[in-house]
Formats: sequence, structure tokens, C-alpha cells
Amino acid sequence: MGKSSDTRYIFSAGDLYQKDFSIAFRKEDGNFYIPIKDTRELYCFNDITLSTKLLQLLAKAGIVVHFFGYYENYIGTFYPKEQLLSGRLTVAQALAYEQNRLQIAGQIIKGIAKNTYFVLYHYYRHGKSELKDFLDWLRKDVSRLVDSVGNIKQLLRIEGEIWARFYQSFRVFLPESFAMNKRVKRPPDNPINALISFGNTLLYTKTITQIFHTHLNQTISFLHEPAERRFSLSLDLSEVFKPVLVCKTIFDCVNNRKIMVEKHFDKKLNYALLNELGRKVFIEAFEERLNQTFEHQTLRRRCSYKQAIRLDGYKLIKHILEGKNFVPFCMEDKK
Amino acid sequence: MLTGTVVNYYTHCQRQCWLFYHKINLEDNSEDVRVGKIMHELKKQDKDEIALEGIKLDKLTAEYVVEIKKSDADLAAARAQLEFYLVVLHDKGVNRKGRLECLEKNKQSKSVHTLILTEEDIRDCKTQYQQIEEFLKQELPPPPIRKPTCKKCAYFEYCFI
Repeated sequence: MGKSSDTRYIFSAGDLYQKDFSIAFRKEDGNFYIPIKDTRELYCFNDITLSTKLLQLLAKAGIVVHFFGYYENYIGTFYPKEQLLSGRLTVAQALAYEQNRLQIAGQIIKGIAKNTYFVLYHYYRHGKSELKDFLDWLRKDVSRLVDSVGNIKQLLRIEGEIWARFYQSFRVFLPESFAMNKRVKRPPDNPINALISFGNTLLYTKTITQIFHTHLNQTISFLHEPAERRFSLSLDLSEVFKPVLVCKTIFDCVNNRKIMVEKHFDKKLNYALLNELGRKVFIEAFEERLNQTFEHQTLRRRCSYKQAIRLDGYKLIKHILEGKNFVPFCMEDKK
Repeated sequence: MLTGTVVNYYTHCQRQCWLFYHKINLEDNSEDVRVGKIMHELKKQDKDEIALEGIKLDKLTAEYVVEIKKSDADLAAARAQLEFYLVVLHDKGVNRKGRLECLEKNKQSKSVHTLILTEEDIRDCKTQYQQIEEFLKQELPPPPIRKPTCKKCAYFEYCFI
């Protein structure tokens, strides 16, 4: 907290190695040093060569490294040998999955609905009255629907509907070049899908890092099937932040013409992928949003959105360990 | 098994004590602490800490067990920790006086405090250690009690979220 950012992004190709107690980066046009101090996270977006000696340093310093491939595809994370382990919590987390999965997952869906409402209400207030039906549905129906379901499949259907209707609503307030016809993943097929995919992946990796700094087990999830693939708890905890962190960043970049189809997307690939410049612009805007602070209403202290992700981890621990109701981050309540 | 830190925390804050004992040891957000830890890790080999059965002594001399603290913020807790070391050593037939050295004195008039335990003190301590062991067996940590010192604690966010 207080620090603007503890994340370093590497966009060029080069070698990463240890020099004294620093991370050194050797690339074509010279050497750069990344101090261990104030670094908690590294993102590698290019061909990087690194040594196990460096990995040792990173592990000791508890620095998490995320790797991406040529197509902005997420390759994986170097996850330092876990320092925070609590057998008691792991057992309790598994028990919570057995006994309380539906309730926790339901809270996540309600959280998505609330934050989606918050984001769209802004546009409604500024004259986009077409959004009314969807807003009413989010406000009045979702919570009731969630409380009436008997299994995860039905919950996932509600979630699917929220996202589908949310994406549909984009054409009300985004320029036509960013219209969303249909959400397509892996690989995305147009600029808006590319932005959502890239943003969601960044948020997912950010959440992995935040969970790493708690005792939670990354594979025991509640909404998503545990370990269906990857670290599924991170998929769970990142959901409610998507509208407020990823989508708000996209709307800001697109509507303020910080990101434009011609300039920031790869023409060769039918504009379905950000180019290097576009990636930098988006990441900068995303980082800025993550590090923005607000007055946390429960803690009564300033807190960044990135910190809020960690706090959702703490809330989950508290639910698992002490039975306190788990209510994920809500943009309106600022807690 | 009890450790010096657990005894210290029990005096300082029972909730912190329970959480710490059950390995819910939350991270300190302070960058200084983190840098210190990394340096400590990297330079472990040239340290001459004396460690046995839950006690890690900062210094052991012919006369004293020395415990060094950054500040005298919670002297009672530091004292309890040092007492614990003295009791453990006493049981091994090693009798020493305790010496508490605070690098900063903010609340007390002196920075060095000496501790001499009588047989009776040792008996009292042992009774208390039994209570702590019982306390740690509880299923749940005690609810948080907000004190001015909570603000700086690594557990603050977890406790009050």
C-alpha cells in the first residue's frame, strides 16, 4: 500500500539474470537493473532467457513471474515455493467446498451483478435509457434467482446470462468499431473480444499473485470446478472485479480514444490482437486503475483496488475459518 | 509446543497468538521488514543464533540471556518472551539472568532491563504456559478487540474486514 506499483513489465526480448541482489536484464540496447526492493511481480511478454540462479533469488524474495506467448496468450506463472502454508486452513477450505459451495458461489454471482449494475448505471444516468431493462433485471431479479437455485449448473447459467447481456449492452455506449456481436475466446476474433480476453487474463494473473500472498489453496474453488484447469480459485475471485477493473479500463481507453482499431491492433491478424503499442497503452491504463485508491468503508483506511483483491481473499479465509459471511467486493459499498 | 514468539503474542494480543500459532501468519506489508527478511535468508550462514526447542536466543553470555528488541513498544510482552527462555534454560539446568535491550526507548526511561526469576516466578510462569497451551487448543480464535496498536499490525485487515 502507498506504493504506486510493485509490478514490472518486460516487453523486449533479452536475458534475465541475477547481479548482486538485483535482477539484471540484458537486451539489445543495453543492461537494465530491476531492484528486488518494491518488486513483487514480473510480467514477461517476449522471448526471455533466464537462469535457475535467478529463480532462486525470485523465490526467496517471493516474486511471482507471469509468462505470455507471442499471441498474448498466457503461458504460465513461476510460483515461488509456497511460504504461507496452513494445513488447518487447507482442510477447512476443502470442507467449505463440500458443505458450503453453493452459498459461496452464489455470493460471487450476486457480486458480479452488483458491480455490473454499478458500471452500467453510470451510462444510464448519462442518458442511455436503453439499459433500463437490464439494470432492473440485475437489481431485482438476479439475487432472487440465485437464492432459488439448487445446484452449480443453474448458477452458472445465471452467470452466463449476466455476461451475455452485459456484452450486448456495449453497443449502447461504445463506438461501432468496437461493437460486440458475440463473445469469442481462444482466439478472440475482433478488437473488443481481444481487449476483454487480454484484460481478463491480466486480472486473472493479478489475482493469482494476490492469492499467493494469502494461505488459500489456489486449486480449491467454489464457482468454477476445482482445478478444472489452472488455478481455479483465481478465476472465482477475479469475477466480481471484471466489470469494475477490466471493462472500465476498456471503456476508458476506447471512449477517450486512447486505443484505436487502426493504430493499436495487428492489421495482419484482422485486428483481433493488440499490437505492442496497444498492449502498453492498455497495461498502463489497467495498472493505473488497479493502483487507484478509495476509502474502504469497513476498514476506514485507504485501499487500492489491487489490495481489494487480496482483501477478498482474507474475507474468504475468514468465512472458511471463522464462519463470517463471505460477501465479495462491491463497488457501490466500497468494501 | 510453545515458542518465545507465541508467549510474547499471548501477552500482546490473544487473537494474534492463536492465528500465528495456527500458521495463519499474515504478511507484513512493510517493505523494510521484507528487505530485512530477504537479507536474513541470503546471509543466514554467518549468523550465530542459538536455537533449541522453541527458543532462539539472540545472545547467551556467562551471566545473561539477552533479548534484543527494536523498541520498547510492548515491554510486558518482550519480558514474557524472555522469561520463557529463562524457564526453558532453567529446566535444562542452565541458570542465567535475563537482559532486555531495546534499541529505541520511547515509553520507558531506560533501554536495558534486567530480569531475575525466583523459584516462585518460575512456578507461576509454568502455570501460565499450561493456560496458553489450553487456549491454543480452542477451535476458533477469540474475536478481535480493537486497540490503538491494531492499526500497525499485519493482521489488521484480516481482523477487521
